[in-house]
Amino acid sequence: MNKFLAGAVAALGMSAGSAFAADEVRLQLQWVTQAQFAGYYVALENGYYGEEDLDVTVLPGGPDIAPPQVLAGGGADAMLNWMPSALAAREKGLPVVNIAQPFKSSGLMLTCWKDTGITGPQDFKGKTIGVWFFGNEYPFLSWMSQEGISTNGGDDGVTVLKQGFNVDPLLQRQADCISTMTYNEYGQVLDAGVAEDELVTFKYEDMGVATLEDGIYVLEENLSDPAFKDKMVRFVRASMKGWKWAEENPMEAAMIVLDNDETGAQTEAHQVRMMGEIAKLTAGSNGALDPADFDRTVATLLAGGSDPVITAAPVGAWTSEITDAALN
Amino acid sequence: MRRFSEAMGTTISVVVFLLMFVVIALAALGRAESDGGMALLWVALLAYIGWQFVDALAGWAEAPSVGRLAAPFALGAVVLIGWQTIVTALDVPSVILPAPSQIAVTFAGNLRTLWADFVQTILKGAMSGYVVGCALAFGMAVLVDRYDFLRRGLLPVGNFMAALPIVGTAPILVMWFGFDWQSKAAVVVVMVFFPMLVNIVAGLADTTAMQRDLMRTYSASYWQTLITLRLPAALPFVFNGLKVSATLALIGAIVAEFFGSPTVGLGFRINASLGQLALDMVWSVIVVAALAGSLLYGFLTVLERWLTFWHPSQRR
Repeated sequence: MNKFLAGAVAALGMSAGSAFAADEVRLQLQWVTQAQFAGYYVALENGYYGEEDLDVTVLPGGPDIAPPQVLAGGGADAMLNWMPSALAAREKGLPVVNIAQPFKSSGLMLTCWKDTGITGPQDFKGKTIGVWFFGNEYPFLSWMSQEGISTNGGDDGVTVLKQGFNVDPLLQRQADCISTMTYNEYGQVLDAGVAEDELVTFKYEDMGVATLEDGIYVLEENLSDPAFKDKMVRFVRASMKGWKWAEENPMEAAMIVLDNDETGAQTEAHQVRMMGEIAKLTAGSNGALDPADFDRTVATLLAGGSDPVITAAPVGAWTSEITDAALN
Repeated sequence: MRRFSEAMGTTISVVVFLLMFVVIALAALGRAESDGGMALLWVALLAYIGWQFVDALAGWAEAPSVGRLAAPFALGAVVLIGWQTIVTALDVPSVILPAPSQIAVTFAGNLRTLWADFVQTILKGAMSGYVVGCALAFGMAVLVDRYDFLRRGLLPVGNFMAALPIVGTAPILVMWFGFDWQSKAAVVVVMVFFPMLVNIVAGLADTTAMQRDLMRTYSASYWQTLITLRLPAALPFVFNGLKVSATLALIGAIVAEFFGSPTVGLGFRINASLGQLALDMVWSVIVVAALAGSLLYGFLTVLERWLTFWHPSQRR
């Protein structure tokens, strides 16, 4: 009898306690734990989420995890995604909405061997180019469409290779150019012993075909729930606080990311360099999506000609409600 | 239902059950959207009637030989109609599970792409690897059979090769042989080699002492014995190995494409479509792969029946 009473009191106590428990948020990253997502890990480590009464779980991604699918299946409350991929998912019938845009600039590049003689985009004809898929192919396809170069191979087009998430195709000379990020793969090529003057690099930003990258997206139907919206407002506020701290303290942010890396695969030097480059991409954004940037991304995607990434200008694909409330 | 069948006679009960099956299927499909909660009951009823139909057909002595296909078709129909009904009734988002009707539309609309993928993966990648792998295994098996010390040395090595996980060997072979179909064929060779080797070696050993003695009395040489007695006797084992290896070849060719490929191929199509959330295209590729696998297996079965007609397993 005493044990039963004690158990009942404990149960009541726990349920009363859970009424005051923090709101749970699950964030699905679009790749493995690395400094590309430093802001969220910093917010976790420095207690910014705790201050907002949030219990955040950061779910690392990987080679075969499509964040839109995780969101669709209810495995996460919010996801990180590149805008072309999110807009394409929206057209496919998954209504995702951008609620914040921490990344202002694009870090996507094409890195080529200088000895292939490539000096400009029109020299890509007849060459072999490694392109990532799984949502990362859209900026490239758009660019080639705008240049009028077919991606079906032959002398007048480019031969596209589905590049794995590594730089081997360039090093093994299986491709003349590969896709790289300023903050990750470019460094890997240099680490492999290639000198910078052996390479020629095209930044999508400089070519005028850049699209918005890491943004925070949620399912549209969840935004009609006021409790969910409030949770997201607090989440975005704390996350942006984490990002700004990471920009100002790159070394410490890299160490925080390393501490949270469960695989132990990341190295300090790599993460410090990555954080330095990521800070350049988040600089200039306070988290609110700039409508001009959105329009530019959509225009780039619609200019895809015969093979556009999206077929119509998206409606209701982003909202400023969350950032308006979070940043004021 | 059994008493019904007995009372009405098998022919009439077969027809009645078939009609009931069609009516319930149409009702389930038609009412799926409006009557969501009842969808599962409809499907359960459909499955039951399908069972009774096949049962009645089994008891029909004068059934035409096409009646043998009734059971798989009834089961397939129940699965497809159940899938369509449940997806429609429960409003499952198509990025999780598309409806069969959607998959059929996508399949019909992408025939040229799917054909190009089929040629790249199945014909160029899987089949070339399959042929090379089986030929190598055959050569090795004859050597292993001839020289006993090779058997003791090489079979463990073959065993080791078979245990290598494909997700480890595929990226390495892509690095060695390039992105195109050659690396996929190499992966298939590695996967197919050991099962074929083991089966052929077992088959070559499957002759009785009496048979081998008979050849000795005819003063047959080793090679004559091999060609006229031991290889034909080994055929049932060879076909067993071929059928197992056919499945492995398809798996190997498709999975190897996940690790680097040109922008054509069944594995590439699955991966790229998954990333684009085009799940209906993923399922269309699955249909192509399933059809290819079934055709290959069916072809091997027919060939087996023709060549090993004498074996007890081929008795009707």
